[in-house]
Amino acid sequence: MPETASIPDASTPAGMLEGDLVRRARNGDLNAYDELVKRYQERIYATIYHMTANHEDANDLAQDSFIKAYRALKSFKGGSSFYTWLYRIAVNKTINFLKQRRNKHHYSLNDLDFNTEHNPDLVALISDKTPHREVGLTELQKKLNEALMRLSEPHRMVVVLHDVQGQSHEEIAEIMDCNIGTVRSRLFYARQQLQGYLAEYAKST
Amino acid sequence: MNQNENNFEQVKKLLKLKQHEIPPPGYFSSFSSEVILRIRAGAAAHSQSLAERLQAEAGWFHRFLGIFESRPGVVGGFATSLCLLLLITVVFADHSDVSPGSLLTVSGPVATAVDPIAPITTQQLVASVGSMGGIVASTNPVTSLQPVTTLFGQPASAALFQTASFAPAGQ
Repeated sequence: MPETASIPDASTPAGMLEGDLVRRARNGDLNAYDELVKRYQERIYATIYHMTANHEDANDLAQDSFIKAYRALKSFKGGSSFYTWLYRIAVNKTINFLKQRRNKHHYSLNDLDFNTEHNPDLVALISDKTPHREVGLTELQKKLNEALMRLSEPHRMVVVLHDVQGQSHEEIAEIMDCNIGTVRSRLFYARQQLQGYLAEYAKST
Repeated sequence: MNQNENNFEQVKKLLKLKQHEIPPPGYFSSFSSEVILRIRAGAAAHSQSLAERLQAEAGWFHRFLGIFESRPGVVGGFATSLCLLLLITVVFADHSDVSPGSLLTVSGPVATAVDPIAPITTQQLVASVGSMGGIVASTNPVTSLQPVTTLFGQPASAALFQTASFAPAGQ
């Protein structure tokens, strides 16, 4: 029996457009803001988590970012999308946090999901064909996070936003308040650095 | 460059592993409610701190009102004193009819002898200077009319001056 697709009700926060939710939240409607948080929580959390490699820090920073955004909603002019504006707050907060905590990395890595073992690219990295077949996915995850932490914050941010989160160069330039050329050069340099740090895994087969 | 791109492909594949890192189960189901709770708590704390600050700043006023509550007799005394103060103010306001012009009158020989507005003739000026014993009048209105004294406090008058003569002695 085919499932009937539920049409979102435009009168409830879940069915509202982003602009309406922002307008309501600006007037103090916390239900509207709750909906905005639900829409972007996963992406904001993931970006901060990949930058910090620490679940607890990512949780605190993500919550702080949403709270700061709510308090600053009055100053949001709508020149960019709420999503980009929110991202900018989260990115600045995270970079400031990492600068204060420089060289004091404390890893608190999340578990890998069930699908990891079914990802052919990843399986290939630990298969018998590679010289590092003894390395498990968890070990590889740890090495990858260590390599990322060796990058500077702006370079790490570009890699996370582009190669992990899948954002475009234009979006990253807007979020990081720089031009596209800078994004591209940072991405190239960051990949080059990662290639060096992970040479034993990133060899071409 | 192709080699680099190829290597970057490997790096990109490695980075895909990051996408499989997931927070503890159920983490996102309570995330938004925690954010909203913190926003509400922050707003409540802000309004509470505002009330506390107002209370701290107006503490003296509360203590002042407390005196009245504990001693009702003080209320009557305070009200009576306020009425008296008001009455005294009204009475004094009625009697303070001093004309401003009288405050500007100048007493003294010059003021009585000479009309300050009328033009002063040279004779009048010389006479007044002479009567004041060495007072030098200046055309500069800022300069005060102070008696010119010598270094030892003697008034400088014509009697103290001696004309110098450079003629040889005996002539």
